[in-house]
Amino acid sequence: MFGYVLKTLLRHRARTLLTLSGAAVAMFVFCFVGSVQEGLERLTSGSDADRCLIVFQENRFCPSSSRLPEDYAPAIKKLAGVKQVMPIQVWTNNCRASLDIVVFNGIPPEQIRDNRPVHLINGSWEAFLTRRDAAIIGRNIANRRGLKSGDQFTIGDLSVQVAGVFASDVPSEENLIYTSLQFLQYSRGKETAGTVTQLEVHLTADADPDAVASLIDQTLRNGPVATTTRRKGAFQASTLSDLVDLIGFAHWLGYACVGLVLSLVATTTVMSVQDRIKEYAVLQTLGVRPFRTMRLVLLESTLLCTVGGVLGTVVASVALWMGGFAIGAEGATIAFRPSPELILVGTAVSCTVGIIAGLAPAIQAATVPIVMALRNE
Amino acid sequence: MALVELKNVCRSFRKGEETITPLDDVTLEIHEGDFVSLMGPSGTGKSTLLNLVAGIDRPDSGSITVAGTEITNLSRGQLADWRAANLGYIFQTHNLIPVLTAYENVELPTLLLKLTATQRRQRVELALRAVGLSDRADHYPRQLSGGQEQRVGIARAIVANPRVVVADEPTGSLDTSTSEQIQDLLQRLNRELGMTVLMVTHDRDVAGIATRRLTLNRGKFLPS
Ligand SMILES: Nc1ncnc2c1ncn2[C@@H]1O[C@H](COP(=O)(O)OP(=O)(O)OP(=O)(O)O)[C@@H](O)[C@H]1O
Ligand SMILES: [Mg+2]
Repeated sequence: MFGYVLKTLLRHRARTLLTLSGAAVAMFVFCFVGSVQEGLERLTSGSDADRCLIVFQENRFCPSSSRLPEDYAPAIKKLAGVKQVMPIQVWTNNCRASLDIVVFNGIPPEQIRDNRPVHLINGSWEAFLTRRDAAIIGRNIANRRGLKSGDQFTIGDLSVQVAGVFASDVPSEENLIYTSLQFLQYSRGKETAGTVTQLEVHLTADADPDAVASLIDQTLRNGPVATTTRRKGAFQASTLSDLVDLIGFAHWLGYACVGLVLSLVATTTVMSVQDRIKEYAVLQTLGVRPFRTMRLVLLESTLLCTVGGVLGTVVASVALWMGGFAIGAEGATIAFRPSPELILVGTAVSCTVGIIAGLAPAIQAATVPIVMALRNE
Repeated sequence: MALVELKNVCRSFRKGEETITPLDDVTLEIHEGDFVSLMGPSGTGKSTLLNLVAGIDRPDSGSITVAGTEITNLSRGQLADWRAANLGYIFQTHNLIPVLTAYENVELPTLLLKLTATQRRQRVELALRAVGLSDRADHYPRQLSGGQEQRVGIARAIVANPRVVVADEPTGSLDTSTSEQIQDLLQRLNRELGMTVLMVTHDRDVAGIATRRLTLNRGKFLPS
């Protein structure tokens, strides 16, 4: 009977192909939207997000306007609950929301090697540690800009040599370019000498992040500039707040895609069943049970929807993996990297939508008035 | 006991205000091995009677017993099972499934029975041989002539060894010589395989091959 369903789908090749491609395109968009949501979710909920603090200049939002004295770092290091402080100089080509954002993080090189969740996939730490203008770049940005070890990369008035490309389990890391702190401070002119954009504070296992954060702000209140300290997740969410709203809205787009697939597959299945309603009457005359008739139609719609949906999901996942796309603003980026769960969700959604889309026509086929349908020549 | 037994069967249809009652208190017995032809003016309810025997329609009142089963009280699903095991239906137009080959079309009813793959293949081959189309097994309906399509339809109706075969104007849309082939075939099914056949026809000559001829007029059987 499975053969019968397959042959039925092949009977109207054009219609089947159009429906398949429609379902594929819609599930492509669904997957795309889903991976953006996932990227955002990861930024604000990763283990990093809660156990790590970012110290920023009070009331400043763009990295280019936050200037903290570098010697805040040793002061913070002394506080209870603080394991480590990492001074970071941030430079970005675009403070506003952009799809091709380039973000440089200048950090003391040994701290990058020892503390960032990155591992080189080519190039060497050696080259990075010894050369003043050396940079290691995330895999995504390497893919996007076509860069490899040994290349010179110039953007604006910054010019670095690529000493290596790194991968990371934290997708948004792969959109960053790391240089040494000093390089980034001095290449930006004298005014940034001795200052950093932000300080990343790693906590001891038993520290309460919010308590330490307010302790930091209180301690530095009397310093040259006041600070705002937040958990890293909250910091990134507020930095990206415009995008967060937009992305939050985009999940409706995901639902719309599911609705689209549903109506598309339902239309095709209804048409297919109505064309062949007499065939279902014949099948039942031969002794096919109504319930089995129903299953035949459901199989048809589910097959159509699942094949199309899985195709779209897989193509989207591969494209997003390879493309290394990311959206960012003000030095924070969201990586569009689909997780394996997203592929599973895409498949499950396609399958479920296929069943729902086939329900009405399946019932129609199962309850066809046999004699009436046979009379219609 | 008769193989097919209709007792006081009534069937009427509503068409707007009007009620048509083609079968009004019909009683009929068909015995095992009978070849019954049913004639009568258009619109007297021949097809209606046939569909009642086939269990694809239900009477308003009365009882129908086929091969020992009272089918009037069965559910739609039970009727389907019953048809799969006991009934062969030959349509006026063959009603083959266009995407399936002759072989697959004939195989369909056997898929509904508990048979092994070998038994199934044997049955299908036997049925195709009986209608003389073994060499056309791989052909699709559109590659067959009208007469051949009808023969595949007959093979499909007999492949499950049904107790009763019903045929609604099986030669109605065929030319004379093709019609004669089909008549021969039906006669052989009855004589050689002992199948019980109930056939509706408009053609006096076709009716001639039956062992028992009935004429239905205004809901009553006329003696012939
Ligand atoms: N579903 C239905 N709804 C309304 N009327 C119906 C329906 N089915 C049959 N009839 C009516 O019942 C009567 C008997 O129909 P039936 O098809 O049994 O006639 P028939 O003897 O087979 O005619 P023919 O020789 O033309 O095939 C006809 O008047 C027909 O219009
Ligand atoms: Mg008729």
